Amino acid sequence: MIIYLRSGRKLHDLLKPDVDQYTRHVEMQEGATLVEILGELGIPLVMVAFAFVDGKVRKLDYAPTDGDVITIQSPVAGG
Amino acid sequence: MNGFGGTILRINMETGEIKRTPTPEKFAREWMGARGFVAKTVYDEVPRDADPLGPENILIMAPGVLTGTFAPAGSKIGFGCISPATNGHADSNMGGHLGAEMKYAGYDMVVFERISPEPVYLYIDDDTIELRSAGDYWGMGSLDLEKRMKDDLGEDFQIATIGPAGENGVVYSCITHDFGRQAGRCGVGAVMGSKKLKAIAIRGTKSIPVHDLPTLTKSTYDIIQRTKTHPLMEPWQKYGTALFVGWSNDHGCFPSRNFQTTYHEGWEGISGEKLAEEILVTHKACFGCWINCGKYSRARIPGKPDIYVEGPEYETIALCGGSCGMTNIHDVAYANYLCDNLGLDTMSGGNTIGFAMECYEKGIITKDDLEGHELRWGNIDDFENVLRMIADRRGIGEVLSHGTKGAAERLGRGTLAFAHQAKGMEFSGYDTRWYSAQLLSYCTSDIGAHHNRSWAITADIEIGQDTPEGKAAVVIYLQHIRPLFDTWCCCRLFWGEVDVTAEEHVDTIGYLTGWDVTFEECMKISEKIWNLTRSHYIERNGGPGRQFDVAPARQLEEKVPSGPAEGQRVGVENFEYMLDDYYYNRGWDKNGNPTREVLEILGLPHVADNLEKAGLLGEPFEDGVPKVRGQRLKPKAM
Repeated sequence: MIIYLRSGRKLHDLLKPDVDQYTRHVEMQEGATLVEILGELGIPLVMVAFAFVDGKVRKLDYAPTDGDVITIQSPVAGG
Repeated sequence: MNGFGGTILRINMETGEIKRTPTPEKFAREWMGARGFVAKTVYDEVPRDADPLGPENILIMAPGVLTGTFAPAGSKIGFGCISPATNGHADSNMGGHLGAEMKYAGYDMVVFERISPEPVYLYIDDDTIELRSAGDYWGMGSLDLEKRMKDDLGEDFQIATIGPAGENGVVYSCITHDFGRQAGRCGVGAVMGSKKLKAIAIRGTKSIPVHDLPTLTKSTYDIIQRTKTHPLMEPWQKYGTALFVGWSNDHGCFPSRNFQTTYHEGWEGISGEKLAEEILVTHKACFGCWINCGKYSRARIPGKPDIYVEGPEYETIALCGGSCGMTNIHDVAYANYLCDNLGLDTMSGGNTIGFAMECYEKGIITKDDLEGHELRWGNIDDFENVLRMIADRRGIGEVLSHGTKGAAERLGRGTLAFAHQAKGMEFSGYDTRWYSAQLLSYCTSDIGAHHNRSWAITADIEIGQDTPEGKAAVVIYLQHIRPLFDTWCCCRLFWGEVDVTAEEHVDTIGYLTGWDVTFEECMKISEKIWNLTRSHYIERNGGPGRQFDVAPARQLEEKVPSGPAEGQRVGVENFEYMLDDYYYNRGWDKNGNPTREVLEILGLPHVADNLEKAGLLGEPFEDGVPKVRGQRLKPKAM
């Protein structure tokens, strides 16, 4: 199945977008969690503050489903 | 002059005399606005022995070069003075619409001098400027008064107010505007209250002259188009800064029960998700902003009136929530409302009440001190009782009105060890025992512990949480770039979250003013301001700088007892290493005093002269200023 990971400039070099300037498509096996997917891509988990899927914040143990568009953010600015 | 209102106002509160002078372009270019204007003016004009709440202190209100313009969220306005909390330089800023309105009325800075014999408010309607009686308003809550003044003057006036805490001189009183935007830190509300200035009302109908309007318009249009499709726009709009409550807990930096530990059991009940699910009414934006990070909420607590409040933001959740042991978002929103209406900073206020709750737990504060009430973790009734005592400076509230450091000095019994402050201003909502760069940021900050001067937790993660090495230079970079936004007066969120670069902001300044300005020049201005405010602090407080860069013992010596950061502490040796490294990288001596060489490079030779006269000038380096001075290490994730 295919999911789409999106992020801003802070994670750009790690994410390597290929769909547009923010988005990378990822082919993955069903059931894989975000922890596993990010690990495969070489994105350190400590650099991901949260994932945002379909209007909701998700923990990194979330297992995406086909077609999910997942925004990830690094903890950069502080409140 | 392009980009500015064009006039500086000086108001003698004692006599009512109002002076108008043109804003000198050299002054504007050299200091750029708010934080810069404050640093320069307060350094030059306030006697070194002036009481922060006495007639010789001044209060400054100043927007910046980007306020009221097409710059993304050019909404900010700064307030500054000598802080009653730290006895050093104070600047604190707020969003909303006041800054833009002030520039549209034609003003770049208002300097309030001396003390009014009676309560007054400042009325500005373009060229009409009056001090009007505030006798009917004195004693009112900040939010209540803003509503009243909108009714009295008209909806199109922008209003800033103080609450009872500011009138009574609580050292962490804030200035409130737009029903929930605050210049919260440094006690600027107490200085406003000391001048008997209850409120400020401004309506401006003029425009700001622009050097190159077509290019400025195109540039802004491009930024809007680019950022409105940015992937992070939606989560920021939905949750605001409260997004990070979960992350902070997962990473062991969330303050729980007065920083006793760094993972808060029950944090899910005060998270951004809970805010959005249970209390959010609508989103709210400042001038010129399309992120809308403000959350307008309604709290419903049995036995209390329903209240509406802007917030709670991350910092309020961390300090009124986690640090006071709360696990219910309604309670945190209610605490937020109480602080706002009484005119207290939610950060220092929450931090101080968390400190008091620990004192109560340890038997240092008792029911007798609390007029028969208790002060239990997570109890909103107890929180309300002590907060009202603080605002009135009644009983133990008088002790706590001085903040955690002042209270610890009065209470004794080892309480200073768990007073989470630096230079007398309370920590923001991040514990630092696993994040030593953040501890260095707090303790070396010119205004006291405040994350907006440097938020270095990402740098800690990048460099390594267990090492003190390599952190000083990153902290210096952050201490220059982050307060730059408080100088220009636009919100950091577009830079920090949706990828509008600092260089793009500098380009905007160029289109606006016609100045051939560069990012490097702006960073040097920021470094100059930092050295000026540092020197000012040392001059006023009379001692080597190092003696003021002190960390709470809990952060250095007590291991985190639970959660992801269990077993962590910074350690005295690591902290001292980082301080040495920090001073060296700044070109200061080992005592933390600026050297003549550095001050002269930055165009501050008179400051070097003043430090020398006071015997506080840094010892020169044998081989000249370290080459690393001015070298700034940018975190990879920025």
